[in-house]
Amino acid sequence: MNLSNPIYNLIIFLILSVLAYLLFRPTKGWFWIFKNNLKVNEKTVIEDILKLLFHYENSNKKGTIDSVTRGLKFNDSLIIDVLKEMSIKELIQLDGEDLSLTNSGRDYALKIIRVHRLWEKYLAEKTGFDKLEWHERAEDMEHKLSPKETNLLATELGQPMYDPHGDPIPTHKGKVAEVKGDLLSKLPVNTVGRITHIEDEPDVIYKQILAENIHIGSQIRVIENNAKRIVFYSEGEEFILAPVVASNLTIDVFEKEVTLEEDMVRLSSLQEGETASILGISKECRGDARRRLLDLGFVKGTAIKIDLISPLKNPKAYLVKGTSIALRDIQASKILIKKQ
Amino acid sequence: MAKKPIKNIIKLSNDLRWQIGDDFHDNLAEGIYADAAELVSNSVQTDSGKKRFRLDSKIDKIITSKTWGFPLMFLILGVVLWLTIIGANYPSGMLAQLLLDTIHPLLKSGASSIGMPWWLDGFLIDGVYLAVAWVIAVMLPPMAIFFPLFTLLEDFGYLPRVAFNLDALFKKAGAHGKQALTMSMGFGCNAAGVVATRIIDSPRERLIAIITNNFSLCNGRWPTQILIATIFIGAVVPSSVSGLASVGAVIGIAILGMVFMFFSSWALSKTVLKGEVSTFNLELPPYRPPRFWKTLYTSLIDRTLIVLWRAIVFAAPAGAVIWLISNIMIGDHSIAYWMINGLDGFGWLLGLNGVILVAYIVAIPANEIVIPTILMLTVLVTGIAGGEGAGVMFELDSVTATGDILRAGGWTLLTAVNLMLFSLLHNPCSTTIYTIYKETKSAKWTTLASIAPVIMGFVVTFLVAQIWRLFG
Repeated sequence: MNLSNPIYNLIIFLILSVLAYLLFRPTKGWFWIFKNNLKVNEKTVIEDILKLLFHYENSNKKGTIDSVTRGLKFNDSLIIDVLKEMSIKELIQLDGEDLSLTNSGRDYALKIIRVHRLWEKYLAEKTGFDKLEWHERAEDMEHKLSPKETNLLATELGQPMYDPHGDPIPTHKGKVAEVKGDLLSKLPVNTVGRITHIEDEPDVIYKQILAENIHIGSQIRVIENNAKRIVFYSEGEEFILAPVVASNLTIDVFEKEVTLEEDMVRLSSLQEGETASILGISKECRGDARRRLLDLGFVKGTAIKIDLISPLKNPKAYLVKGTSIALRDIQASKILIKKQ
Repeated sequence: MAKKPIKNIIKLSNDLRWQIGDDFHDNLAEGIYADAAELVSNSVQTDSGKKRFRLDSKIDKIITSKTWGFPLMFLILGVVLWLTIIGANYPSGMLAQLLLDTIHPLLKSGASSIGMPWWLDGFLIDGVYLAVAWVIAVMLPPMAIFFPLFTLLEDFGYLPRVAFNLDALFKKAGAHGKQALTMSMGFGCNAAGVVATRIIDSPRERLIAIITNNFSLCNGRWPTQILIATIFIGAVVPSSVSGLASVGAVIGIAILGMVFMFFSSWALSKTVLKGEVSTFNLELPPYRPPRFWKTLYTSLIDRTLIVLWRAIVFAAPAGAVIWLISNIMIGDHSIAYWMINGLDGFGWLLGLNGVILVAYIVAIPANEIVIPTILMLTVLVTGIAGGEGAGVMFELDSVTATGDILRAGGWTLLTAVNLMLFSLLHNPCSTTIYTIYKETKSAKWTTLASIAPVIMGFVVTFLVAQIWRLFG
């Protein structure tokens, strides 16, 4: 081969680069797809079917062979084979087209859900993975952890009750804490409450919620609710959502006549020269990031004001307990204050 | 029997956890701060200090202002680098005079007077001693100037403000503003830059800063860049602007390094490092007059001498290897000759040559000895007159004579440009690799930090060579 022709060299290089890109680009690369396909086995299919049926049961939908084959990405004939085997193992009951969980099937499903939600909690608290990735990674991990490892993980995380989206984590005995609340899309105007759950599926809607910078645990007041849009006030800002998006948020409505802390706003809205006192840190700020803020003195009652603004506007330095500490705007949006 | 009560306690604690909920860490921190505040208000009196604080905020207003923030920063960094490069010339020259031109011949004649065999004398004095002496002469003066200056700025409180000013840029690349400081530290020495990443307390951003520090042109590479730019870049423009052109070329390479630093930081944070925990906070401490002598002492001992010692430890065997490959014969030729021959084809493809690649392989321990090794090997394989003999590294006082040797070795403008690029984009020196391992305690990240830049170097020099030949 003659390597002295630069054109040939460049063409060979281009082909190799394109090939490497197709093979290894993140998530869609052929290499990763191939690797993922290798992992599909019967156990995964059984567990995914159980989970799907469990969710149907919770939302009072009926599970059928058709809905399962449409709901899961596996090959139809594989699903049907697995369904037959599951009914032999008495995990499900086959009644013509209809499918329902047996008691042991329900227990099994709860175990998988426990791993899934614990793993999301773990990703939120101990790693830096983006929120958008939690679900996919937990989908993968839920088939891998043994019961013993799951319990160790739960101990490590301090036996959490809720996952980062606000879903209850079943205990190892299968006990599930209750989630109170109604869907935001169904609340009348002037309802006051707290966001207790943000659904992370489907992806498209979850991305919109994240883009709006809506935080779990925030207090809200509904301002407008009609077929076109839902407007609510929270932490000094107004949020406008399509009903389809709003139905992915669950609100715990305050039963007693609790007045909303209307003057609770985000630190990111503080202007130069204003003074405020800290009310708390949002639930969205987790793990090391949260502990670091607490250590630095971002605790309830502390006085705070802007010390300096960087030439590029972000970050800003805040004066807290006599020390100047710079935070980025995205962090400041997770600290709640009351202006004075 | 003793196990049962423990089990009960664990069960009780688990039950209690359910009851107290997730907030108890926050409540605990609040409680501690409330108690501390009460203790302070009961026991501490404040009255002074207020005036100081006003001065502080005045300085801050200027240093972080839109108009003055950036120009001031470039000015200060420029002055520090200028002082380092220019200021180091004289002590470096003196050290070279002493270690290379005076002590080296003295050792040689001493060795021959006691009848030391030629191979032992060559191995120890021409190999080991020369490499160590070279590293000391080139490395010590710039570090002894750069680190104290940098530490003084740090001590005064200026550097955190630089991180504050630049954070928005680094944030776009998924990095921490403090990486601006570790990057600048890397202009002095990458190993020291890697150690300096300890100031970044977020795990992901710290790894990014460690892995990308190599893209800062360190003081072992500045002289190479300046020499090659003077010989080759300066020669293609009218002599009235040749100085300007060569300085511009070197600065261009340094800026290209920053571009690669930002790009790799971004790529790392989006791929392999996305799972590492990422937090951000930056304390802006009050200004204080730098403690001059203490700073001088600690920066000389903690940074300069430790790094120098590591470099010496690695340079000594490199010197031995350089002497050995030039003097051990296989058939009619030395090992170096065979290596150069074997790598010539690949080197040509990259617009470099076999000599350069061999020099970069044996000079992994220290970038300082790349040029002396290249000169020695060029003389060795071309058989032209000059040099000090097989395996004896040398440098020439005259830039023109150096250029003549390189041109005799087949160098063109393309070779020079690609050498400058490759000098920027190749594996970190072994001192830095070792330091990366010590800081990360991870073979994985160390390997990534070592291999990734050299692959980029291959790709960039390859592309430049092909396009150059296509249009040249």
